Amino acid sequence: MSDSPMLEVKNISFSINQNRLFQNLSFDLFKGQAIHVKGANGSGKSSLLRILLGISSPSKGDIIWHNISKKVFLGHKNVLKNYLTVADNLHLHGLDAAHPEVKSMLQDLNLHNKTELLVGNLSYGQQKKLALVRIFLNTSNVIILDEPCVGLDDQTRKLITSFLSSELNKNKSIIYTSHIPLELSSKEVMVGGF
Amino acid sequence: MFIIFKLELFKLRKKLRAWLGPILVFLLITISFPLTIELASDDLKNVFYSVLWIASLLTVMVSVEGIFLEDYEDGTLENFSVTNDSLFSMVLMKIFIYWLLIGIPISLLGTFFSISMSGQMSSLNVALPAMLISTYIFINLFSLGNSLSLNKGSVLGALITMPLLFPILILLGKIVLNANFGFEIYNLLLLMLGVLLLIIVFIPFIISFIIRTHLE
Repeated sequence: MSDSPMLEVKNISFSINQNRLFQNLSFDLFKGQAIHVKGANGSGKSSLLRILLGISSPSKGDIIWHNISKKVFLGHKNVLKNYLTVADNLHLHGLDAAHPEVKSMLQDLNLHNKTELLVGNLSYGQQKKLALVRIFLNTSNVIILDEPCVGLDDQTRKLITSFLSSELNKNKSIIYTSHIPLELSSKEVMVGGF
Repeated sequence: MFIIFKLELFKLRKKLRAWLGPILVFLLITISFPLTIELASDDLKNVFYSVLWIASLLTVMVSVEGIFLEDYEDGTLENFSVTNDSLFSMVLMKIFIYWLLIGIPISLLGTFFSISMSGQMSSLNVALPAMLISTYIFINLFSLGNSLSLNKGSVLGALITMPLLFPILILLGKIVLNANFGFEIYNLLLLMLGVLLLIIVFIPFIISFIIRTHLE
């Protein structure tokens, strides 16, 4: 980890319709570090991620990204087109299903023989895995994930954890929310409690 | 910008019913309308252009119904706003591709039918430019309506947009009137082109702002 943070979150607060979700939240994110955002349902975990991504604005406080060019995000929506095949969906995200690196990841996730299937015909878990392929083959230096392991079996979850660990080793940073514990060395940030 | 163009074209091209369906609706209206009145009637020649404008208006309205909805629902817009700074270029390209795959074909079909109805090649000079310009304007305006009513149903979007379309329909009517009396139509076409040039830039900008607000 480097000495200067790539993200500084300073005393941010957030409310929706006068319902305060979190207050005076502060933390830093360094290169090669993972942050696990924890909290009860409705505590503002997803809202915090959306604030960090710049989609929403905090009611108070500052978010400072240092020298960040690219962030990649997977939220509750998988960013997949049901009427397109797996290969076509990968193409939309700039990935070639025939590329060795993509092929190998599809093989790991047991999707290698489904490239010509329509995404609409895949199960929720398979769609989630396909969405994660886009995340892991991205060149962005910050990965932001909102409940990445929902709908995945134990084996895939372990695989996802190992992918995330290898991303950390590449000096990428990860911020994620997950109710399912991941075996990933990460700093915890609690939200909510109001 | 070119990558966005390629990907948006790829998406729409693969969704056959989204662009072929509206073209078939247009074809159905233009073919079936003359069958409902006396084919040899002179009235047919006079009212056919009006049918053409209304048919293109309805076709565009149907075709752009889900122009942003699908991308909004599956997270594409949210993802695009995170990974790419320019929602504007995405909206601009989306509208252009809809015109390319729907606006141009219905303009060509409409021109073909207007020549068949009038029996004069001169109809080409009226119908083709008027339809090419008006369909692009219609797509822009209906897209604006749909962006405003994103997630609230397309009827609301159409209702919001309708008043903005009336001046264009009046201009189209004037063009036909002038053409029938043998008056100059190019000044009116230029006026419509001017409106289009303003719309091409401003509407995608406004839409991208509206979408950003929806995403928040």
